[in-house]
Amino acid sequence: MVVWHRIRKDFPVLDQLYEGKILIYFDSACMSLKPKQVWETIEYYYRYLSACGGAGRSTHSLGTETSLLAEEARDKVAKFINAKDSREIIWTRNATEGLNIAANSISITKNQNIVTTSLEHHSGMLPFYERAKKVGSEFRIVNASKDGRFDLSDFEKKIDDNTRIVSLVHASNVTGTIAPLKEIIEIAHEHNALVISDEAQYAPHAPLDVKKLDVDIAVLSMHKACGPSGMGVLYGKYDLLEEMDMFFVGGDVIEDVVYKDGKIIPKYLPPPHKFEAGLQNYAGMMGVGAAVDYLMNIGMEEVHNREQSLLRKLLRGMLDLEGIEIIGSTELKNRAALVSFRPKSDVVSHNDVSMYMNDMLPQHRIMMRAGNHCVHPFAYSIGMNPGKGEGSVRASLYIYNTFDEIEVFLGALEDFLRTIG
Amino acid sequence: MSSGFEEKNIDCVLAILRKKNPASTKEILALRDLFPELCSGCASGGDVILAGKKLVEKGIVERKWTSSGFLWELVYDPETEG
Repeated sequence: MVVWHRIRKDFPVLDQLYEGKILIYFDSACMSLKPKQVWETIEYYYRYLSACGGAGRSTHSLGTETSLLAEEARDKVAKFINAKDSREIIWTRNATEGLNIAANSISITKNQNIVTTSLEHHSGMLPFYERAKKVGSEFRIVNASKDGRFDLSDFEKKIDDNTRIVSLVHASNVTGTIAPLKEIIEIAHEHNALVISDEAQYAPHAPLDVKKLDVDIAVLSMHKACGPSGMGVLYGKYDLLEEMDMFFVGGDVIEDVVYKDGKIIPKYLPPPHKFEAGLQNYAGMMGVGAAVDYLMNIGMEEVHNREQSLLRKLLRGMLDLEGIEIIGSTELKNRAALVSFRPKSDVVSHNDVSMYMNDMLPQHRIMMRAGNHCVHPFAYSIGMNPGKGEGSVRASLYIYNTFDEIEVFLGALEDFLRTIG
Repeated sequence: MSSGFEEKNIDCVLAILRKKNPASTKEILALRDLFPELCSGCASGGDVILAGKKLVEKGIVERKWTSSGFLWELVYDPETEG
């Protein structure tokens, strides 16, 4: 049994009073807080190692331990997402970098097309849009419904034998809706198309099994999963990684660079190393390993169930309030633990809500994200105009949040709505 | 030395408030269109909000909570009052 109030104690950020007020952190979809186990691991690297790791770079004692711990972290991530092999795990800075690597490293020709959706984060859309533009490929968009759901038949219409890539967000960072990824992958594979899934908002919150899904590439932002900021992971099927080009080249990715008869002949290492150019964030890798250990010790099913309980209270409470519009589905089923909303008002901005929650409560600072969450096409598709400063506020939950915090938030939101009439 | 981004957005908020003073958050975000060379950053408006808060800290702008949301008022103009 998980004792959740003890879990919360692992996050000292929440113990402090910030300018005299209790912190309620509802911005985990942007960045999760870090348990002490993660930063103690990072501290270990800086205090006792601080050396180069990597593919045979430094073979002295500190370098050897650094390499060993970094590779152990890779093994832990492979286990976390049930990859077949640790060589399928590539370190990146974030999901965005993973998506850029994927978009620019997979071969594609002019007569092929790329399929994505209107619900993608800009990071899941723009790298593929730019690649398609560069190559001259067709760029197709499957529209999400107003509540952030997909109709599988739309994928059947858009994906054909010329589709090379389908880029898809697994759990939306705006609507929280979870895409029917397994079914979409089956449709894509019937046409030999590759599926790249953006797992930034899914993997931190529920068990992810890349083998079972049969997804070709999956990208994660580990800073949303208790890991250090600026750490991400790209998972790819090994055969695909072998045939992919590299987006970054330089040190650490090569076996040799032969110089013969005035010509350079590089011989690259196999995956994952051919994708990890230059000195890496070894502390970050170890921190990710600690984060993954932390989450797996709790159990991802437990994490998911806890968040669903919190979400039920949050969503039900918000549905009782008349002065707000919830962006996306109002159903609990197939939903990540976040709710985006905006006040039903012609004069009040979504930014007013987030500022009120952070600045105006007598005892608390409730921290939430206001904006369009880097998913502007979806905002436009539902009649919101980011160009005119319209947007929504997002309350996103994680393992350290409590029912009491949700109670405080709902009360504050009610007060806010009462003030604006 | 910063990137100059924050300074530009501070000038953006000042320019808007010189045009309409006081202004609600929603009005400030909507009036950014008038000063495209100053009002930069993501369309969602977070950069302008941060700039506004910076001006509040400096005592140049006052922010009050009202039934129209936050109302931002230029109370001291460094350009005209030195």
